Amino acid sequence: MEHQRCYIYAPPELAERSPKRQRTSEGNPQKLLRERMQTYREIWSHQEEKIQATLEEADIVTQEKIVKFVSAASQPEHEHSLAIPTGLVVVGPSIASHGPFFERLGRRIKEDTNSANFVLTSGESPNLKTFLKNLIKKATSRVEDDDDDDLRPSTSSKNGPKLLDFDLGHLQEWQNRNRVQNIVVTIQDSEAFDSSLLAEIVDLFYSWLDRLPFVLLFGIATSAESFEERLSGKSLRYLEGQEFDVTQSSETVEKLFSTTVASTDIPLRIGPNLSRRILERQRDHVQNVQDFSDGLKYAYMSHFYANHTSIFLQKGLSFKDVPEDVFDAVRTLPSFRRWIENLLGDRDTQQARKLLESDEFLFTNTVQQVQAGQNILSGLSGACMVLVRLRKSLQMTPHAPISSIWTRAASGDLAGAPLLRETMLLVKKISSDKFLQLLTSMEELDASAFSSSFTVDLDEYRQKLDELVTANDTSAPLRTQHDVRNDSLRTTVVAQKVLLSKHKAALSEHDKAYSELVTRFHDEMENYFVGAITNPNELLFSEILIYDLKSPHTEVFQPKPRFAIERALASPHDYLGCDCCVAGAGEDGQVSFSGTQPPTAILYQMYLESGAIINVSDLWSAFNAILGTQVEDSDTKTMALFQRSLAELRYLGFIKPSKKKTDHIAKTMWKGL
Amino acid sequence: MSPKRKRADDDPESFTPRKFRSHLPHDHDTDEQESAPEVQTPSRRTRTQQLADNNGTPRSILKKTGLHGILKASIGTTPKSNRKLVFETPSKSTTYDNTLNGSPTIVRNADRSARRKSNRKLIERTINGDDSDEEALDEEEILAQQILSDAEDDDKVLDGAQEELAVPDTPSKRGRGRPKGSGTGTGKVGRPRKVRSPTPPQQDLPSHEEYFWQNRPGGAKTSNNTLPSGILLNHDEYFQAMQEYQDRHGPEKELLLELHSRAFDQWIFEFKEGFNICLYGYGSKRAITDAFAAHLYEQLAEHASYKMAKETPPIVVVNGYTSGTSMKDILTTLASVAIPSKYRTPNQLASLLAYVLDYLTENPPPHPIPIILNSIDAHQLRRAPAPSMLAALAAHPHLNLICTVDSPNFPLLWDVGLKAQYKFLFHDATTFAPYDAEIDVVETVNELLGRSGRRIGGRDGVGFVLRSLPENARSLFKLLVEEQLGLLLMGDDYGGFDQDDEPTTPRNKKIVRAKHASTESAQGVEYRVLYLKAVEQFVCSSEVGFRTLLKEFHDHQMVESRKDAMGTERLWIPFRQEELEGLAGDLAGEAF
Repeated sequence: MEHQRCYIYAPPELAERSPKRQRTSEGNPQKLLRERMQTYREIWSHQEEKIQATLEEADIVTQEKIVKFVSAASQPEHEHSLAIPTGLVVVGPSIASHGPFFERLGRRIKEDTNSANFVLTSGESPNLKTFLKNLIKKATSRVEDDDDDDLRPSTSSKNGPKLLDFDLGHLQEWQNRNRVQNIVVTIQDSEAFDSSLLAEIVDLFYSWLDRLPFVLLFGIATSAESFEERLSGKSLRYLEGQEFDVTQSSETVEKLFSTTVASTDIPLRIGPNLSRRILERQRDHVQNVQDFSDGLKYAYMSHFYANHTSIFLQKGLSFKDVPEDVFDAVRTLPSFRRWIENLLGDRDTQQARKLLESDEFLFTNTVQQVQAGQNILSGLSGACMVLVRLRKSLQMTPHAPISSIWTRAASGDLAGAPLLRETMLLVKKISSDKFLQLLTSMEELDASAFSSSFTVDLDEYRQKLDELVTANDTSAPLRTQHDVRNDSLRTTVVAQKVLLSKHKAALSEHDKAYSELVTRFHDEMENYFVGAITNPNELLFSEILIYDLKSPHTEVFQPKPRFAIERALASPHDYLGCDCCVAGAGEDGQVSFSGTQPPTAILYQMYLESGAIINVSDLWSAFNAILGTQVEDSDTKTMALFQRSLAELRYLGFIKPSKKKTDHIAKTMWKGL
Repeated sequence: MSPKRKRADDDPESFTPRKFRSHLPHDHDTDEQESAPEVQTPSRRTRTQQLADNNGTPRSILKKTGLHGILKASIGTTPKSNRKLVFETPSKSTTYDNTLNGSPTIVRNADRSARRKSNRKLIERTINGDDSDEEALDEEEILAQQILSDAEDDDKVLDGAQEELAVPDTPSKRGRGRPKGSGTGTGKVGRPRKVRSPTPPQQDLPSHEEYFWQNRPGGAKTSNNTLPSGILLNHDEYFQAMQEYQDRHGPEKELLLELHSRAFDQWIFEFKEGFNICLYGYGSKRAITDAFAAHLYEQLAEHASYKMAKETPPIVVVNGYTSGTSMKDILTTLASVAIPSKYRTPNQLASLLAYVLDYLTENPPPHPIPIILNSIDAHQLRRAPAPSMLAALAAHPHLNLICTVDSPNFPLLWDVGLKAQYKFLFHDATTFAPYDAEIDVVETVNELLGRSGRRIGGRDGVGFVLRSLPENARSLFKLLVEEQLGLLLMGDDYGGFDQDDEPTTPRNKKIVRAKHASTESAQGVEYRVLYLKAVEQFVCSSEVGFRTLLKEFHDHQMVESRKDAMGTERLWIPFRQEELEGLAGDLAGEAF
């Protein structure tokens, strides 16, 4: 089987099932896996819905514009226009999200207008002929038979000469049958197309415009200007362009983050380290919305797959459903232990004992505490959102997105942070017109709906503010006593020294009342933040509520394959864990080869020591010196091992033949680079 | 022996021993000149003699001690030290002679610091590793020369024009005139060694430094040893040896496999969630994928749709490493399980892919069809349409892909778009298992060492091919073998002549031999020459015929051709001399 190219797997004819299977059914380490998976699916499906909604929402505006543009193109006044209606869709640099975007767009175009949409990529269009062939193939959705071009029974043989399969006549015929309003041809990655090909396409489409209602959409990763520069003036005259900007993926990710991680109504959150990691990866490497949701999904999967206590996230869990070992697992949680220690510190031995002994008591407590923890986390998320709103209405710089604020909050850095203090100081100084805006924006957020601790009565403030504003007879907005504009500096010269002194300007009655109001608001807000912003890591059962392990996540998404192979070869003990090849003296620079290591590893370590080109003969003598003693009946066997190791290094791409000298090989990889 | 050590030897004896040492050997060398010393360096000699006379030490040894007669005078009287100096090696001290000639200790110190400086410079140069080796060597030479000539300059300052006048007069090459040239020569031998000794320790360099260290000019000094012919095993020997070989790490490797197999359920879960899996790490991962296929098979067999029906769950296994595996194979195999046989599938690759995907979308199978792909980074699957097609397969919700990769740099194979489509989760699956199926060990090593001639099975293979060819093809091959052998033998003769002519040091011999080794592989029979000979011997009548005959050899890889530096085409048979001789014997004996 191993030398066959492709085959369908057939199990070996074995009478006995392998013992492995029995072990999984007997030992049953995953007793509640099914239930946990169930919970996972419920929770994740909510998340997924949110993600989808966010994504749809993200580009709905642009899509609508494009759809409108497409349908407008078929209006009668356009009918005999002199140029092809062209949409320049600036999709941004994250090419990975282009595909899904155009897919969604195509669906909408088909649904909302009576048009056909064909997406073509550079991969399918090396030249005009193939481009047209593919276009016609897609349009007529014929399963292409691969007979030669001229053998095919021509579709229009009765009306004249046979059409070649890249003749747009096919498309015309198809159009005659289907009568679509527009034929939208989307060129997904316009940058990857040859400019001459683009020009040819434009020319050809233009010449068919009187028969076929073409609309062109170009996906552009750079800018519309640079696209324009690539086309000649003649081609450009055939186009009637309009530019559409698509929401950039970084913004979309930010939105996704706020709905899936920093939102208030989610049972499981990913921790600060992991979210920082995911966001960093987004920013620096992939810029792909799909990847973000994959990362999130994998975090959820890991949590429910490996963590027994995650069962407590299930809603309506009853005591009977939970097997004993889950309680044992709960009792090992560090936060639980802290809790018990605190109880003991408070001399509450009764409860501590009960928690340790009675599963049922523990169950009810856990369920309660998990609920409480969720509320606290929601409160925290709410506070982050309020903070973001505040900063936005106060127009503060630097712009702190919800993702960064939330990560800071989740790692417990936000309480008492300069960021928060600064914001609160600005609140103190707010003028009445800004305060009005602030209140409006807070009302929009409707914080009290998701955060029970948000007790600030916005309506009351608004009422009072309205009263004050109407009572204010000057046109200038009301100011608080902390506003710098109410301060004035007075310089006095006393004994040849200049004294600076600050003086409060006399506040008007209205201003005084307003100051009071703002101060009260400030105090209430401050109380709210102090109450809501806690360190989630100190939360009881944070292990259940927050997933913040980087271990499987990093390796699974950002593998270091070369490092893994180099490590396996340089220190095989790390993987094999055998007694014979402990690296031993290998660390202090004096590399000692132990002949017990796998032959390839020995050869690799010699390889590491040698220069850019290696004499195989010498390599062989060294290899033989080390391994020859280990293998009985030496030479042939050692040679076989030597050859195999050499071939493996070659296969892995560490070495290549060298023409410089006979029997020499060249080194191609340096460890750790 | 370095001058320094000599100095140390002498120091207890006298406070200015250097002058003795440096001048005495000179005397020995020029013993025959003693009869007429004045002729050589007239002015100085006389002065010296005068001094010597004044000091009352008329011994011949002191005659030519240069300017330092005064200093020497007191020591010169101690004959003991003189006797000792006789044992010094003459050549080296003559070298040093020049630098010290007529210079007091200050000059020596200056020399030392200059050498130190130059050493430092050279070390820097070797570490930084710029330019080629030769240039570095040149640099050394120049520096050495500079130091020496500086010393000479000092001499000149002291001696004035007399020295210059004296030099052309020296009758013997070993006299004073020479050390300038020979000094640089010996300096070249001596100095680099001194420079090399304080090389930085190689062991604990950071990896980037190590890169530059190992790539420094002249860093790659390898020996000229070659593997003896016949030491490499052929297929039979290799497999026999491997069969007898018992891996001492068997249990540990088993354990690794067992550890990986514990993740199978997790992988199935990841499959279910729409991810694909990619396994990397050292060692063949076929064992894992096989076991996983079995596991998957069991799991799927419990699926409701297989309970009643006779059908079995389809699992497509692809061995990417097998030569000739193409997208076509993969797609047709997939189509054979995914699409009922009553449908006619298109033949063209792209449309077949589209058809399969469309069919799966419209008629979703009861569970996603798993595809197990061993070595997705195999060469034939790296080329243009394959990755994007595989990605399209992987992206389909009703297909699950698990693949293995062997090369350490595989992430570079896919761009962001493809990666997003693949939706891979990567797992380290190091097994340490030998790549038995993936690599043809014997073949790879032969290719690596440029012995692809063994590919057709050595002499026997050639015989086999020749037997099936017409008479004149055989004659042509024989001609080629003979010509090539002739060239090789001529080379040998030349080497022998060389050695007779000039008795060389063992070191030189090696170089001569190495030169042959390198030319041997680069050389071959010139195309025109061979053609003319072939015409001469009525093997063929036209160049077209000649070409056709050669083509046959080319096809069987019995002949290789290359353009040499002059642009002339050269042909040669990829065998070593011993094998060629054997071949010639076979051909002559009409064995074929």
